[in-house]
Amino acid sequence: MRTCSFVIAVLLAATSALAHHSNSAFDPDKVVVLKGTVTQWKWTNPHVWIFLSVDDGKGGKTAWEIEGRPPGVLARAGWSKTIFKIGDTITVDFSPARDGTHTGLTTRVTLADGTVLANAPPAVQ
Amino acid sequence: MSKTIALLSAALICLLSGSTASLRAQGTPPHPDFSGVYYTFNPNAAAPAPPGTAGARGNAAAPPRPVAVIDGRAGRPETAPKLTAEYMAKWEILRKSRMSGSSEFDPNARCLSAGMPSMMGMGYGMEIQQTKDKITIYGELNDVYRRIFLDGRKPSQKTLDDPTYAGYSTGHWEGNTLVVDTVALRDDTLLDTFSPHSDQMTVSERIRFTSAGVLEDRITTTDPKALLEPHLAVHTYRKASPPNDELREFSCAEGLSSVK
Repeated sequence: MRTCSFVIAVLLAATSALAHHSNSAFDPDKVVVLKGTVTQWKWTNPHVWIFLSVDDGKGGKTAWEIEGRPPGVLARAGWSKTIFKIGDTITVDFSPARDGTHTGLTTRVTLADGTVLANAPPAVQ
Repeated sequence: MSKTIALLSAALICLLSGSTASLRAQGTPPHPDFSGVYYTFNPNAAAPAPPGTAGARGNAAAPPRPVAVIDGRAGRPETAPKLTAEYMAKWEILRKSRMSGSSEFDPNARCLSAGMPSMMGMGYGMEIQQTKDKITIYGELNDVYRRIFLDGRKPSQKTLDDPTYAGYSTGHWEGNTLVVDTVALRDDTLLDTFSPHSDQMTVSERIRFTSAGVLEDRITTTDPKALLEPHLAVHTYRKASPPNDELREFSCAEGLSSVK
């Protein structure tokens, strides 16, 4: 059984009007789910960045750089600048880059304790 | 005698003007106060998906425009502005660029304001500050703002010669509806985030509360060079309550190095 949680789930993913890159860069019809360790966390506009080290299932690690929505939106969804610490184990769902690079756009994040961080506060906004 | 008549006349004038003022106060309700923080939503949508599931997304039920539409590969939807042949040709160039993954025709990618009228999509929320003579609207996405002058002023020639992203807006009240006209708009923004337009574009809005805390903006865009007919877009916003009534700075240039 592979310990690496690399699951490509083709779902009806959220399309997004995110700014600051062409929307063509990511495939909104796919969601990749990766479990890994946070190596860097950037709480910056116009996008936050999660740097993740993921077990490749062959004894090695793969580095991923995954973008998220802006801090203002995520703050209203329960995220914060201190939500992740280096070394935390988290699970990130994201739309992968079309070009196959190890990047993507988050659709949600699940913390080690099971807390789910959504992309926006659905009831309020 | 003449002094008495003068005094009586003065008293009568005071009485009359007083009663007129009183009638005016009773008969003319104050204008609605739009002040507050708002987020866009789709009043006709089904209940939003639970957080974190596929389909759940920000800003609630505002219908997402699919990427295939945004980048043009799905063509132009029925509701898109009806472009003249000249501007359809410009759109073809735009969509080829977008489909290739380029951000050349994406102002957001360069941290620029979407400009009027697309900026009223207000995808990350807006804050309205209203006074008797002016309404100021801030948008969190790209830290944009616009002003609507209500004091009767008109744009000068100098203003008309100096187009901007938000343009120059003047408004007046028709009952509980704020009617706004916007001119002096740049020609290098995208109408509806998707369609090119000319320097002759003007925008007319009718803004009102449709129910408590629900604000509607009916936006009619006219452009004799680019549009075959005026284009109507309707945005609906819900007023936010604490703690979501605080917008955050966007400071887009902070992450310019991450622009792909």
